[in-house]
Amino acid sequence: MSTEEEKHHGQPPAEFEREPVPAKAQLGLKEFVGMYAGEHCAGTELMIGPLFVAAGVSAFDLVMGLIVGNALAVLSWMFLCAPIATRARLTLYYQLENITGRKLVTLYNLANGVMFCFLAGAMITVSATAVGVWFEFEMPGLNDLYPNSFGWVVAALIVGVLISIIAAYGYKMVAGFANIAAPWMVLVFLVFGLVGLKQFIDATGTEISSLGDLWHLGTTQIWKGDEPLPGQVKFTFWHVMFFAWFCNMAMHIGMSDLSVFRYAKKSWYGVASAAGMYVGHFMAWISASILYAYQLHLDSTNTDVLPGPLAFRAAGLTGLLCVIIAGWTTANPTIYRAGLAFQAILPRVSRFKVTLATGLIATIAGMFPAIAMKLLGFVALYGLILMPMGAVIFVDFWLMKKFGLQSNYAQISRKTFNLAAGLAWFVTLGTAWALVKFAGVQIFFVSLPGWFVAAIIYIAVSKIYQQKVHST
Amino acid sequence: MRLIAKMVALTSLLLLTLPSVFYLAGKMGLDRVKWIMILATILWFVAASYWMWPRAENSEG
Repeated sequence: MSTEEEKHHGQPPAEFEREPVPAKAQLGLKEFVGMYAGEHCAGTELMIGPLFVAAGVSAFDLVMGLIVGNALAVLSWMFLCAPIATRARLTLYYQLENITGRKLVTLYNLANGVMFCFLAGAMITVSATAVGVWFEFEMPGLNDLYPNSFGWVVAALIVGVLISIIAAYGYKMVAGFANIAAPWMVLVFLVFGLVGLKQFIDATGTEISSLGDLWHLGTTQIWKGDEPLPGQVKFTFWHVMFFAWFCNMAMHIGMSDLSVFRYAKKSWYGVASAAGMYVGHFMAWISASILYAYQLHLDSTNTDVLPGPLAFRAAGLTGLLCVIIAGWTTANPTIYRAGLAFQAILPRVSRFKVTLATGLIATIAGMFPAIAMKLLGFVALYGLILMPMGAVIFVDFWLMKKFGLQSNYAQISRKTFNLAAGLAWFVTLGTAWALVKFAGVQIFFVSLPGWFVAAIIYIAVSKIYQQKVHST
Repeated sequence: MRLIAKMVALTSLLLLTLPSVFYLAGKMGLDRVKWIMILATILWFVAASYWMWPRAENSEG
């Protein structure tokens, strides 16, 4: 999984923040393909793949769910996000500010920053599991919510503090290093899958002479579709499909990647996201899931999802380095950008101090394994929280004039808080919460109806609100 | 010089991946695969840093 911020590894510098990107600064397809391919191979992929296995997914549900879900994600980038990005050519924040007003954008920044902090925490957790292989302290189990050993706390603290200091001092240096590490990391993920597959073949004594044999091994030994492990939700085709579609929801349907695709010459460059989806969210997830399934095959009582030991068993020292680098290079921009989001709220505090403080919050979050171990649910929540603003942008850009309403209302009316957008956000989240809490709908499925709820509320309230404001 | 670094870097990626294919085919042991992978990793980071670093800096502005 990736964040919007990870995409800035290969991004042009943060410029044209309050103006459209001019033609001379626009980029070709190749830039976006490379960017997405590298940056969706993050440390958290090593958690997500195993968690699918822990959720008792079957081979068909996993493979087909990922193929369809990732295709829907690519289509969302192509037909929802990129067309607006290449027409308006504005950053998400500036476009949102024009629609919702400065105060509501500040609130959005706060939500974004908090979610980034927790996400960076999960990446610190992933890196800390590699330290555990060397120092052999007790590491958290699948259902642990709190730190369970002194060694774990110290490891997460050291990893997190180092990442935070580097993020505060040397963001650009790490971003450059991340660009170099990306092709190597993608291939190490591929090796994880190949080695894991061979280990399975040897352990089960399976003869592989055709693709049919391979599929048989997958369905009967790797992704058996059994009951989920205790404490986990059973994953079906629909869970996998919606998870793959919505795990980057904040970026495509939520429109965070307006800031990325405003540089694209053509809107169809959104197709470049397929490189990220089918490398990171297909190959890497499947590879990581094979490693975990093999661990369960060897010892069904060892349910710990610990990327460090999993990677070490498959690829030795290279695997451990991959875990550390994947966690580090993706936590770095996440912390940096979370810091930027918070700095927009506290403009008088230096960027260095804000980034450092943000990193330390992420470090504390990283000590608690709950976020990493419940990553499937957290990622769904992350997309859900930011999604309604994507619906607001979509409606504002394409539909407002058709309903006789004013686009970019906050900018034109000089409002600092567009009530229609605010209500669309809060009521949608309230509705989603009620569906999960009282109607028993799982969080993976509420975002789709939520988008329509947000869109309808924004139009309906704008009808009243814009009229009322005009008449006063 | 950069061309040489690029060639070494790309070769190291082959060196990183191919042993696992040989392992899958039953032609190489896992311990040897791991040793070759760490060697390929060192080669990659040395050569690719020389090849890619200035471009990475430029793109960061």
